[in-house]
Formats: sequence, C-alpha cells, structure tokens
Amino acid sequence: MIFNLANPLRFQRLIEKIEPITLNIAIILLLVGLFFCFFGSPPDYLQGETVRIMYIHVPCAWFSLMIYSIIALCSIFSIVFKHTLADLISRSCAPIGACFTLATLLSGSIWGKPTWGTWWVWDARLTSELVLLVIYVGLIIINNAYEDKSKADRYSSILAIIGIINLPIIKWSVDWWSTLHQPASISKFSSPSIDSSMLLPLFIMTFSFLFFFISILLIRVRGEIIQRKIEVIRFNRMA
Amino acid sequence: MGKYKVKLDFFKLVKREIRIMLKNFSIIYSFSTFFVIASLIFVFSVNDISYVKIFYKSIVWIVLIFSIMLVSENFLNEDFNDGSLKELQFLGFSEESIIVSKSMAMWVMIMIPMLFLVPLVFVFFQITLNELLTLVINLLLATPSLTLISILSSLFSVQLKRNKIIQFVIILPFFIPMIIFTTSSGTLFESNNLKENQFLILIGIFFITLPVCLMAGRLIMKEINK
Repeated sequence: MIFNLANPLRFQRLIEKIEPITLNIAIILLLVGLFFCFFGSPPDYLQGETVRIMYIHVPCAWFSLMIYSIIALCSIFSIVFKHTLADLISRSCAPIGACFTLATLLSGSIWGKPTWGTWWVWDARLTSELVLLVIYVGLIIINNAYEDKSKADRYSSILAIIGIINLPIIKWSVDWWSTLHQPASISKFSSPSIDSSMLLPLFIMTFSFLFFFISILLIRVRGEIIQRKIEVIRFNRMA
Repeated sequence: MGKYKVKLDFFKLVKREIRIMLKNFSIIYSFSTFFVIASLIFVFSVNDISYVKIFYKSIVWIVLIFSIMLVSENFLNEDFNDGSLKELQFLGFSEESIIVSKSMAMWVMIMIPMLFLVPLVFVFFQITLNELLTLVINLLLATPSLTLISILSSLFSVQLKRNKIIQFVIILPFFIPMIIFTTSSGTLFESNNLKENQFLILIGIFFITLPVCLMAGRLIMKEINK
C-alpha cells in the first residue's frame, strides 16, 4: 500500500481527492476550537485571559517539533531508499515547519510579556526553539541554493539528519536546565496538570492545526510534483 | 597486517595534509593576522576596558569561529578543484579518514598560531593567569569539534558556484552549543554545577560531533563525486 503510493503520480491523484476534505475539516475544527477557546473555557486563576494564547502557542510548538521529525524521517528514507517522494515531502515541510516555529516564538513572546514581564529571555527552551527556526531557514536556503535539485535534496537531507540533535534538547531543556519556561503539563506517562475545560479546546485546536498542516503539505507536494514535471518537459524539449 | 597498513596509510594522509598546510604557510599568517585584527576591532569598539575584561571570552571565540570557517574553505576547495579529493577516494582512502586527516591538519594549523596569540590575548584583554589557563584548556577541548564542523561546512559549499555565505548560514547554528559552553555565557544554562562540568561537556560535545560529522561528511563526499 505505502510503496504503491510512493509513486509521485499516484500520490498526486490521491492528494487531489484528500486535500479538499482535510482543508474543510481543518476549517470546521478551527471554528469550533476558536469558539471553545474564547467562550467555552475559563480564564486562568493566575494569568487571567492571557492563558488563551496557549491554544495557539502549544499546538504550534508541538507541530514545530513534529514537522522536523517528519523531515528527519523523510531524510533518512531519502538517503537509504533514494526515493523522490520523501525528498518532495521534506522539501515541502521545511517552510511550513519554519512558519509554525515562528508562530511559536511570536505567540510565546506575546504570552511572555504579561506573564514573565519580558518579551524574550535567553533560557534553554527559547534558545533551542530559536535554533530550530535557524535550522529550518538553513534547510530552506539549501533547498534553493543548488541548481541541481536532486543534489539540493541530498544535502538538505544530510543537514536535517544532523539537526535531529536539537530535538531532544528542545524537548527536555525544561527538565535539564532551570528555565523560566514551565515544564511539560501534558505528558504521555502521567495525567495532565491542566483542567479538562482547558484541555478540550487545546486538543480541538491541535487537531485543527494537524488537518491544516496536512492540507498545506498536500498542496505544496502537489506543487512540487507539477514543478518537477514542468522541468522534465523543458529538459526534453531542450534535448 | 591489513589493519597495520590502514593505520600507516592514515598517517600518510595526515602527513600529506600537514605538508600541504606548511607549504601554504601564508594561510597561517592570514589566520593569525585576521585573529589579531578582528580582536582589536572588538577592543576598539568598546571604550571602557573593564567591558573588554568581561567579554574577552566571547570576543576570542567569535573571532576564532569565523577565522576557522574562513580558513577551512582553503582546505577543501583546492583539493576539490585540482581533483585530488576524488583521487584520494579512488586510491582507497575512506571518506572518514580523509575528513579526520583534514581536521587534524587544520587543528595543528590553528594551534601553532594560537601558541603565539594566547600571550597576546593575555596582554590585550588584561586577564588573570587563571582565566588564561581556563581559556587554553577550553581551546584545546573545543577546537577539535570546531574544526570537524568547519570541514563539514566547507563540504556543503564546495560545489556551490555562487553565494558561498550559505555555508555560514547553515552551519553557524551548530556552533551555538559550543559558544555557550566554552564561554559558559551569562546565566543562560547556569545550573547543575555547569561551571565545574564545563570541560566534561566540551569533551562530550566532541564525542557527539565526531560520529555525526563523519557520517554526514561521508554522505556529502559521496554526493560530491557523483
């Protein structure tokens, strides 16, 4: 099934079917999520209304890490199996991941001002997230630096694999160092320290972001496939 | 016997790199001059000498990183352009041994001028002997990782015909941990008795950098020769 879909043309046909569905789900979930964020959840007893930034900040932060993991996995897949689709996905993921990371930093900064009293602190979590943004930018630059796209894909895969080092640092920075940023509130291994009235909108927003990410990714992958087709046609005409 | 031969070959390779480096002695001059002038520019830009005393570590490390990155380009570009990089691989030298030999030669190239530059740092920045000693130990422990990463950055840019600044953009983020731990800058990561463990962390960084750079370098070198 997976190897059947690994053909870019077959994948393009699948994208055309899935993409409108995911985009619609994302919009519906976003509307429902925003309703819950603003009207269906209580303000925090300490932070007041500013806690609502969490519904944007936390999903963005999760996705900034998740998208990098996808890029890294695709890069490994690309280097081992030399598959075009893996290259296309990692190439398409990089700008989306950069946007999510930027949104994380901006929303965190806006949240930080009223709660910490400053827009920015050089603590481990924030610094490592900033490094992630720089790595994303590096990936985008390297993707566009080489005239030969396959070479650019290979180099960006290597860079993405090196950058994996940063992921555990971001994840556990709040535990390893004494940071101003709070430790994880939602963990796989223990019950969440957030009230369910806040957890529900957070999860709805997360799923809305997930479907939004999938639809944007599919649009970008389709664009990449079409662009490569055009390049092949141009090359054939020149030859 | 085979193992012994491989060892011999590797040392031949290191010897070759060092011989080439000594032939191009002007690189060492350029490196030293760049280091001194760039440090001086920092000093001149600060009016109060007490600030220089505070920021001497940052100045030394930033200048060192940039000078290493500028020099590293020479190490690979010439070999790539005259085809000796390909030839070495054709002769049977593994990509890893080429990278390690180049890093070793580069490390020697950095350490020779640093022997003469460290007393200058001592005088310029008016630091204590204890601070100087810490700086020297930091230099010894962190420069192997720096050279490995710089060689990797040169490998990334060796096939770029224009916009060579990309190598700085993509590789500089990986210098951040080293800058943090060598300068133990400010209060950023000041917990878990970091100051006592600083040297151990630098050794740890080296042992992470070495396999990562060798693996990535091998992949890039294979890609270069395609």
